[in-house]
Amino acid sequence: MSSNKILVIGGGPAGLEAARSAAELGGEVILLEKRERLGGTPDRENYAKLTHHWRDASEAMAELASAVTSHPRVQVKYQAEVKGMSGSAGNFKVEIEAGGVAESLDVGAVIVATGFQHFDPGRATQYYNYYSFPDVITLTDLEKMLKEHNVVRPSNGQAPKKIAFIQCVGSRDRQIGNEYCSKVCCGIASKQAIELREQLPDSKVMIFYIDMRMYGYWENEIYWKAQEQHKVNYVKGVISEVLKKGDQLLIRGEDTTMSRPMEVTMDMVVLSVGMEPSAGTRAIAQLLGVKQNKYGFIEAGGEGGLDTVATSVPGIFVAGAAAGPADLNDSISSAGLAAARAMSLVRA
Amino acid sequence: MPTTQENWNPGKAENRHPEVTYEEKERLFLEVKNDLRYEEFLYGCYECGICVSACPSARFYDFSPRVIAQAMAREDVERVYDILTEDIWNCAQCFSCVRCPRQNNPGGLVTILREVSIKNGLQESKDALQGYSRVIYKVMLKGNQVSPDMLQPDFFPDWGPWVQNFSQNMHVWRKAIPMDSIRGLTDVAWRTDRKTLLELYTIWFESGNMEIIKELDESLYDLLTEVMQEELEEG
Repeated sequence: MSSNKILVIGGGPAGLEAARSAAELGGEVILLEKRERLGGTPDRENYAKLTHHWRDASEAMAELASAVTSHPRVQVKYQAEVKGMSGSAGNFKVEIEAGGVAESLDVGAVIVATGFQHFDPGRATQYYNYYSFPDVITLTDLEKMLKEHNVVRPSNGQAPKKIAFIQCVGSRDRQIGNEYCSKVCCGIASKQAIELREQLPDSKVMIFYIDMRMYGYWENEIYWKAQEQHKVNYVKGVISEVLKKGDQLLIRGEDTTMSRPMEVTMDMVVLSVGMEPSAGTRAIAQLLGVKQNKYGFIEAGGEGGLDTVATSVPGIFVAGAAAGPADLNDSISSAGLAAARAMSLVRA
Repeated sequence: MPTTQENWNPGKAENRHPEVTYEEKERLFLEVKNDLRYEEFLYGCYECGICVSACPSARFYDFSPRVIAQAMAREDVERVYDILTEDIWNCAQCFSCVRCPRQNNPGGLVTILREVSIKNGLQESKDALQGYSRVIYKVMLKGNQVSPDMLQPDFFPDWGPWVQNFSQNMHVWRKAIPMDSIRGLTDVAWRTDRKTLLELYTIWFESGNMEIIKELDESLYDLLTEVMQEELEEG
């Protein structure tokens, strides 16, 4: 017997928007969230401000979440995991466990929104010493400090005066196997550089990059702003080593526009870690039998490449960063489309 | 059919060697580019500078593995000729540059360039290697490594500050750690086992290395082959 219910897996930005959109289109939605709270990676990783409209991330996530929790046609199940699935488009039977209780759900369509995880800098092929030097941190570590308005060097608790960002850590790298660009790190690093200069006006901030990929409005809203108003320095050349010099960090790279090797000391080094498929994305792809690309993200696009939320299994759609690196706006846009595609299937 | 175009490259190097025709430079360029290894030594470069950053020679000389990769990729025939006659001899062939995120191998490009330079008997390669004939003679004949006292430390800043100390106090080091050493030219270099030595001689001949030496320095070649052939016949 066919079902007109829609199952959304994952309660991050994409999952929340997919659930809300489907419900607003008249659908009956069940949303599964692994944790005890909604908001996904922006919530779990303590994001400070969002690149779009400079909004407080917690506030924005709470808004997305309340649109779902307050909707009469959305049922949210926490501490929930998918255990198995059978059937086909319009008529799936999904075995789940929520809060330790096993349950069987009949649904017509599935939207996978299990997201990404940040690259583990321990796997970097350059020598960044993330796990050796406390003052080498990641974008996510800094995001938390910025949120708490407490940016200090982990080694001594003092405010850093010189801070360097190293771009493309874990991205665009054949040695690691992540040849893709993670899309957001240029924008996030520049956003954080502005926040750093706001919170620590005496600090000097440098960003070492291969290409600055500030697409669309990020160009003038973030990149130009960082350079013109906040005097953030951009150097084309990526750092190959972070070493210790006294109580400072010595970074080694090439200033490629000046065509000379350089060594500079820093108080703190921020690694702009890219995106990889989350453990949940890898697991659910296997469980549902949807095709993954060589990086482990869920392959989307359908046969013609333009069906951007279609997976290899009819009736299962993908939204957000489970399909590959995406910023918040892209994730939410794809979630709306996934909801529309799922709704048209269960209504047919 | 040459694949290069003369006029498209905006950063194209000026002609610093007017005595050599463009056709000759292009022929040498194509010999490098057509080497079987070339394709997997140079995929494409986005100029991140990691190779330069990791390169010990770049810290002491006017040498850039990135510029070599770019010059090859842009098919800048004039610049590649400059590189072929100058830059390649500043590379230590340590291959620190292979940590390239694109998996290029600039050091490997230098290997090809050096081979092309020597095979074509470029005077610059002879000049560059002239100072090494004693070292080549020693290494190839005795099969041993170069000992620091054979070098002038001032010419090898990239070997680090310790080379001076090792160079001057080699006898003390050898007394501290005694080993079978070579009497004669130097008594501090390791002695190589005879069987190993004969195998090395065979390799030098079979691999074409002796032909390269011949191209480079005929008298050195004569000196080496005379001893080597005699030893090989003796077995």
